[in-house]
Amino acid sequence: MWETEFGDCGGRKSRVLVVDDERLLADTTAAILRNAGFEARTAYDGFGALETTVEFHPDFLLTDIMMPGMNGVELAMAMAERYPAIKIMLFSGQAGISDILEASRAKGFDFPLLAKPVPPAKLVEGLKSLRNG
Amino acid sequence: MVLPSPRELTHLSQTEISEGLFGRPQVMSESAKNFLAAIVASSDDAIVSKDLNGIVTSWNEGACRIFGYQAEEMIGQSIRRLIPQHLQHEEDYILAKIRSGERVEHFETTRQRKSGELFPISVTISPIRDDAGKVIGASKIARDISERRRSDESRFRLAAIVDSADDAIIGKDLNGIITSWNQGAQRLFGYTEEEIIGQPILRLIPDNLRHEETEILRKLRAGEKLEHYETTRVGKDGQLHEVSITISPIRNSEGVVIGASKIARDISDRKKVEQMAIQAEKIATTGRMAAVIAHEINNPLASVLNLIYLARTGGLSPQEIQNNLAMAENELERVSHLARQTLGFYRDSGAPVEVHLSELMNNVLSVYRAKLLSHNIAVDAQYGDLRKIGVRPGEMIQVFSNLISNSIDAMPQGGKLTISINKDAGANREGLRVVIGDTGQGIPRDHLAKVFQPFFTTKGILGTGIGLWVARQIVERHGGQISVSSSTEPSDSGTAVTVCLPFSGSSSDRPKANGAGSGTEIQ
Repeated sequence: MWETEFGDCGGRKSRVLVVDDERLLADTTAAILRNAGFEARTAYDGFGALETTVEFHPDFLLTDIMMPGMNGVELAMAMAERYPAIKIMLFSGQAGISDILEASRAKGFDFPLLAKPVPPAKLVEGLKSLRNG
Repeated sequence: MVLPSPRELTHLSQTEISEGLFGRPQVMSESAKNFLAAIVASSDDAIVSKDLNGIVTSWNEGACRIFGYQAEEMIGQSIRRLIPQHLQHEEDYILAKIRSGERVEHFETTRQRKSGELFPISVTISPIRDDAGKVIGASKIARDISERRRSDESRFRLAAIVDSADDAIIGKDLNGIITSWNQGAQRLFGYTEEEIIGQPILRLIPDNLRHEETEILRKLRAGEKLEHYETTRVGKDGQLHEVSITISPIRNSEGVVIGASKIARDISDRKKVEQMAIQAEKIATTGRMAAVIAHEINNPLASVLNLIYLARTGGLSPQEIQNNLAMAENELERVSHLARQTLGFYRDSGAPVEVHLSELMNNVLSVYRAKLLSHNIAVDAQYGDLRKIGVRPGEMIQVFSNLISNSIDAMPQGGKLTISINKDAGANREGLRVVIGDTGQGIPRDHLAKVFQPFFTTKGILGTGIGLWVARQIVERHGGQISVSSSTEPSDSGTAVTVCLPFSGSSSDRPKANGAGSGTEIQ
């Protein structure tokens, strides 16, 4: 099982997959996380994220919600079902997504939601506490 | 020679009759007697004579018809046969009057037919004198007034209905002069019946709507009816009332239009509720757009925060820092561009402003740009007429926003949004025609008729159901028209909404018939 194989205990860097159709945002977020000691990769849509996951085996998934094709909540649900150990955080710049979240809660998922813009220092802090906690 | 009427005849002595008929007293030729007999025989009224004991001495055809007794059944019988039991005392009173030489005129009472039926009657009874002037009997003329009673009753009942109605019910002639005025009219407009009857109906019409009356009178003269025509009227105190009026021609028995009845209902309250609903929808639209705008603003802001953070802490080369700051600047440009276009959308000045509709449309499209992209919707906007037009920009943006938002919702699997602005050469006015079309699944026929009705929605809890209705209100207030056409054919489905706006679009001061202004599907 790769989840245990890539655990934090071996001194390996935690891996974060950042997904956002806003490429600049995805790229800069990944750069910040790399500077903070994470191994970070980006994907620009849900299907790209699923593909990357197969070979990257992330510990964390950070995903935007409103994306073309598969939205962030659909991605999060797919990931949580296939890789239960991945810690998932959603972020969104929009308030009007309650109906999308409602759909995921109805299926028994409750993902933490961050409101954009997230100050980079807080994002790093949050991820570190999730990793250590 | 003017003949005295049968009624008058009985009031006169024989001498007087002779004088009246022949110019000389005491002459009653055989022919005169025959003439009188003919009048009596042909009279519709009952003409009966009796002696001072109340015994019937003559009985005409009219009496047969009214009472049902033949002459041979009645002559020699007491007149009391005709009087219901409880009114027998009347005969004593009548005979007493006759004996003293007095007359009983237009005495309304109840009598009984041979069939036993009681009926209302008006009776005039005069003494008959002999040549010496002595009273020897009485002549009695009786008229069956059941018909009159019935029509009186129905008239009173109608009057009571008219008076108790909440609506103003007004009669006027073909010159627009008020001829009747009910309590409802007094309540609505403040004038009493005495003040207003004989006055022109124009008193109730605000100065800027006076042309309506010309049109209304023209229609009435042509025998046409106006139904539920919504307009504004003015009361005695100068206050304006939103009313719905129905005007029908009044015809005489020959079918000629001689006037009109006008029923006006105060719809100020309804209009207030509608205004509140429009206001609420504006807030809802603002909310929906705010959500879209928030997304569009928060994304670049998040990038800016990241870029600056990296520049401060990332150990970058000076060149990389420069690059980051330049990118941050670009992102801030994006935010401020969006802010310029969207903030202040709903700051409605109230007065129309000359604008390019294409510019308003582009602003709305830029708000929805990301949403359109993420839904895989291609946009084809063609602006064929770039003339400016006077509109309230905030309201028109709301119309476009509602329509585009609907189109996006109609194409969850992607598709094409087609927008065109072209010259609209209407029947009498020139304007611009905006068409917003989608390639969604279309609106079923039975829904199409309802899309402009308030609170109609197919979107479950996500729709407020008044977006199109509000669009229609706004377009009509601009003097324009909105209509929708749709196809649900699987190969060629889609919906197109057409908005026509006149260049001379004044605000709601033109007469419009019921629901005119809006598309085919308004029933």
